[in-house]
Amino acid sequence: MIVAGLDIGSTTTKAVILGFGQGFGGFYSDSMKPTGIDMPSVSKEVIGEAAGKVRLSFNDIERIVSTGYGRISVPFRTREMTEITCNATGVRKLYPQATLAVDIGGQDSKVIKMDASGRILAFAMNDRCAAGTGQFLEGAARTLGVSIDDLAKISRESKRKITMNSTCAVFAQTEIVSLITGRAKTEDIAAAVHEAVANRVYGLIRSVNPEPAAQIVMTGGVARNAAVVGSLERMLDREILVPNNPQVVTAYGAALLAEDLG
Amino acid sequence: MKKGEMLTGFKTMFKHPYRRAAEWKRITGKKVIGCVPMYFPDEMVHAAGALPVALFGSGEPISHADAHLMTNACDQVRSTFDSLLKGHYDFMDGVAALHVCDQVRFFIEVWQLDRPFPFFHQMWRPFKMDGSTRPFLLKELERLKSSLEKLTGNQITPQALRESIESYNESRLLIRAMNDIRSRRPGILGAADTARIIAAGMLMPIEENITLMKQLISVLEREAIDGSERTRIVVAGHPCAVPDADLLDMLENYGLSVIDDDLFSGGRRCATDVILENDPVEALADSYMNALPCTTHHFPSAWMKSGDDHSPYSDHVIEMVRKGNAEAVVILRMMYCDPFDLEFVFLKKRLEEEGIPFLPLVTQHGPVPLESLRTRVQAFAERLKTHL
Repeated sequence: MIVAGLDIGSTTTKAVILGFGQGFGGFYSDSMKPTGIDMPSVSKEVIGEAAGKVRLSFNDIERIVSTGYGRISVPFRTREMTEITCNATGVRKLYPQATLAVDIGGQDSKVIKMDASGRILAFAMNDRCAAGTGQFLEGAARTLGVSIDDLAKISRESKRKITMNSTCAVFAQTEIVSLITGRAKTEDIAAAVHEAVANRVYGLIRSVNPEPAAQIVMTGGVARNAAVVGSLERMLDREILVPNNPQVVTAYGAALLAEDLG
Repeated sequence: MKKGEMLTGFKTMFKHPYRRAAEWKRITGKKVIGCVPMYFPDEMVHAAGALPVALFGSGEPISHADAHLMTNACDQVRSTFDSLLKGHYDFMDGVAALHVCDQVRFFIEVWQLDRPFPFFHQMWRPFKMDGSTRPFLLKELERLKSSLEKLTGNQITPQALRESIESYNESRLLIRAMNDIRSRRPGILGAADTARIIAAGMLMPIEENITLMKQLISVLEREAIDGSERTRIVVAGHPCAVPDADLLDMLENYGLSVIDDDLFSGGRRCATDVILENDPVEALADSYMNALPCTTHHFPSAWMKSGDDHSPYSDHVIEMVRKGNAEAVVILRMMYCDPFDLEFVFLKKRLEEEGIPFLPLVTQHGPVPLESLRTRVQAFAERLKTHL
């Protein structure tokens, strides 16, 4: 059985292919691309690319579970499931003890609280606003004239604490411009930006009332940003586990669910 | 008449909320009073020979009101005021409101200043419901009575008021009968249709509403639908506003069936009858004292019994779940509704303690941006079904 999990996010489309059963011995492959406008085409390309890595093609895939913001846009899906369910499934497979999943993508952030058996107890998502998401970081990086990958590195040099007052992604850029004009240092602004994202996500985490001893796993593109993870760890006073490839965990969960469709 | 035709009829009435009232006024020459939701004693307006119609605002984008009101006023208030400024209420003879919350009080005062109507009446209702506040409520009902008598020139006799109360009780009984069918056979009547049917009933003469409801119930009773495989849920919240139909439809499209609710355009409208024993004004006052627990008023006796953080409203929601054999609660939180937001803290805590799954959705007046809510609703439905 060859299945695919397809996570069509607002910024990036991710695919994970899993092979099970006799003759395969089990295999894993993944791929990702910017989402763009034509979601079905990009999705086919991403699945095709992941399949190509294990010498297969799109047509070899027997079941596809689509998830993410574009989940209903692909006619070739076997089934669509939400990124909440898929993320929780992926996180629990990687970390069987995890009871709190924090996933921060391009335009949304979500927190999923699970019980010891992995059952979802509650979840929260950001409301109608890109504060506390990857887009917030991207906008800030653009305004600061640095790459998104360098943003976390730069902030490590920060020596002076600045507080961002705007929680809105658009107003924050105006605030950054005014900080630049006021001769604030790039590294201090970068640190403030990460702190602002962590603040928003912290509020979301509190809203699901997590167990004090919850094992926390962070996924999504923003989990690659060590500065946001670090800020959150300080605020929560707890370690946050981040998988090697945090961006594909939801697609991985979708693939696991595709296998379970039976 | 078939069910589909009847539901389309209610949908049209709700889409053009004041068409019937304007026509009624043209034909009868009598007065139409716009009543700001909720808990206004429509019976008193009816007994004065006028037509009470609920002011829902409209589904139109809010364009005029923000120049007059704070943008953090709730959408129900902003949309109602917007409709006023757009002239939707111009044919009405007056406006009346009960002091359900400070936002309503405040916007009625702005209304009086900005666009005075020939008749304005703000009825003050005590927030504390017990014997000590009953005399005040009685005085307020008498003040409303005199004010309506002056406007219409008709005396509200005890007999007239008694007959009006009987009509409204009958209408409430019929809504309860409809809700009972919905609870027994989920899927027979969608949540959006139910809300529209109840809301449309607030926009037409009560006698017409009674006739239509009787027809509808007889149609529903003949229909064979058994939605027993659907997930039974309760919807709570939206104290004064009719929820967006597409949002309610979306809940049901993901396999959730609303079997009970405490919405303004739902269970709350029909929950408490006015018990006619002696004086009808006193009976109206007592009906407030016996009202359902609500986020806009308080029953100190329940607090004294169970402690300061006790929430009779949460008891009520949990009772709906237990009685209706529901699996979960969807909580509709209208943006900037202060009374509900304050109560939400207690409700959330209680539902967590009771182990009842719940999904809070922040909503707004008129069409809701569904995409942002779709993932939450679908994930909630997946959670209830799959038990990961």
